[in-house]
Amino acid sequence: MNMIEKILAKASGKKEVGPGNIVVANVDRMVLHDLSSNLVSKVFENEMSDGTIFDPDRIAFVFDHTFSPPSQADADVLTEARRFAAKYGIRNVFDSGSGSIHHVIIESGLWAPGDVIIGCDSHTTVYGALGVFSTGVGNNSMAALGYAHGKAWFRVPETIQVRLHGPPPAGTAPRDVAQYLEGFLGEDSAVYRAVEYAGPFIENLSIEDRMLFPLMAIDLGAKAGYINPDEKTAAYANKYSRKKHFELFKNDPGVQYAKVIDVDLAQLEPQVACPPTVGNVKPIGQAVGIEIQLAEIGGSTGGRLGDIRVLAQALQGKTVHPNVRLQVVPVTRGVYLAALREGLLETIVEAGGIIFPPSAGSNQAVNMGAMSEQEAMISTQARNFPGRNGHPKARHYLASAATVAASALAGRITDPREDARQNT
Amino acid sequence: MTPLILEGDCWKFGHNIPTDMITPTAYVMRGMGEMVKHVLENANPDFPKNVQRGDIIIAGRNFGCSSGRAIAPKAIKATGVGAVIAEFFSRTFYRNGPEIGLPLLEAPGIHDLVETGHRIRVNIEAGIVENLTTGKSIQGRAPSGLLLDMLRAGGLIPLLKSDAGKVLLGS
Repeated sequence: MNMIEKILAKASGKKEVGPGNIVVANVDRMVLHDLSSNLVSKVFENEMSDGTIFDPDRIAFVFDHTFSPPSQADADVLTEARRFAAKYGIRNVFDSGSGSIHHVIIESGLWAPGDVIIGCDSHTTVYGALGVFSTGVGNNSMAALGYAHGKAWFRVPETIQVRLHGPPPAGTAPRDVAQYLEGFLGEDSAVYRAVEYAGPFIENLSIEDRMLFPLMAIDLGAKAGYINPDEKTAAYANKYSRKKHFELFKNDPGVQYAKVIDVDLAQLEPQVACPPTVGNVKPIGQAVGIEIQLAEIGGSTGGRLGDIRVLAQALQGKTVHPNVRLQVVPVTRGVYLAALREGLLETIVEAGGIIFPPSAGSNQAVNMGAMSEQEAMISTQARNFPGRNGHPKARHYLASAATVAASALAGRITDPREDARQNT
Repeated sequence: MTPLILEGDCWKFGHNIPTDMITPTAYVMRGMGEMVKHVLENANPDFPKNVQRGDIIIAGRNFGCSSGRAIAPKAIKATGVGAVIAEFFSRTFYRNGPEIGLPLLEAPGIHDLVETGHRIRVNIEAGIVENLTTGKSIQGRAPSGLLLDMLRAGGLIPLLKSDAGKVLLGS
């Protein structure tokens, strides 16, 4: 069995499971943001007859879409979520301003290798970088099986292995690799299946950079993404997890895959996902010159300390283009504090950028990130589908922090390698 | 109980229709009464205005991708649509539909078989779609196991209240 099969077998009390089996598994953690916690509360209180929560300590709320309610309706959503948490004894509540849901959970240690984690959020797949099986489920699943019984049903997925061979050229970032895969493999290439990311490129990455791959697996259509846990996973868990004893569920030797795909990254260029879908990925050369009015470092696939460092370095002694609003959204309070202490935020503000509270940022236009019809944004966010950021014809381009930084300075989509060449 | 043999008029949509297009962000937290007026409006502005109870949605590949948003199938059900038939669905949508009692059928080839306005008959359990306008038919992948149990019961919550639900929890 591979990592996912082993975890699902353990969690469902079975000796062995295989692709296609339906299992009902015990769940270690259920994570919900402000919007989904509200929708699940409604199902739990209005559609089910007995309102008992199996174990409130397995549930965690992170209010990441609204960092400060702009309307009474938004305030009511948060008030309702706090009421539900207080009524049912849910103690793991991270209120507005804590950061982007899964990064807050990771930073606060509410996970351990070998866990099953579910969330009413498609990016729940991120924990696959930490030796965890995790995926998104619906509101009714969460209320009726999760809240009420501490369980979830799963169809054990077939697994595709993607082996990445590097190193990619200088001037590219792990985000460019993850973005390239969305275009190269296709946004529906792994529907219902799991993707294991492997190969020397993945092995050499830090855990923070590895997270991008299971995160972005969802936009290959995958149910889950994961990286076979290793000594880096164990060290990261020892540092952050609140559980002192955990087990790494490694792939059995010689495990079989539905498909194995080898990808050579030697010729990789910076990549941009262009509207209208995450799979419309182009090498930077085909996107340069497009004027942008908004640039953002933020979101579950950006806004980490490494991204903010890249931005601050690019902005050093320079000024953001006068037509561009540059928004920086640290992904957690911990990242905010570290960036503050390193002086990165000072550099960014001096260059003309604006710092927003830790949150989901412009992931979708709930608290920020709406655009007019003629506007365009480039960001490190995960998604660019019409309807997420204001007018359906507004354009949203997705790229690495380096590409966002270079574009914010130039007022148009810019190859970050060109920027680097001009500086030498 | 959800009807699993249906006859209705079709609305056809394209490939990779995201949940953002099914349920635009601006209305997600504004209640179903408001949401239902905007379902799929960015894909076809006539849809929320003119959709009739019992109509059937035909879609291409990867219908319901992007955010997991379980409100997307709920909003489609609230418009009165009786079933969605697609080349294939995104994983979260394919899970959420049966959980809330919205019949879904994967039928490769359906996108070329049907146009908006055609009348079709679909038997979800048998996986058969007949285009009554053109006389052509197609065999899809009939749902089985837990997905079919949920559809027959009308969703996950009614299923869990039945004897089959107790078996599921005991397994």
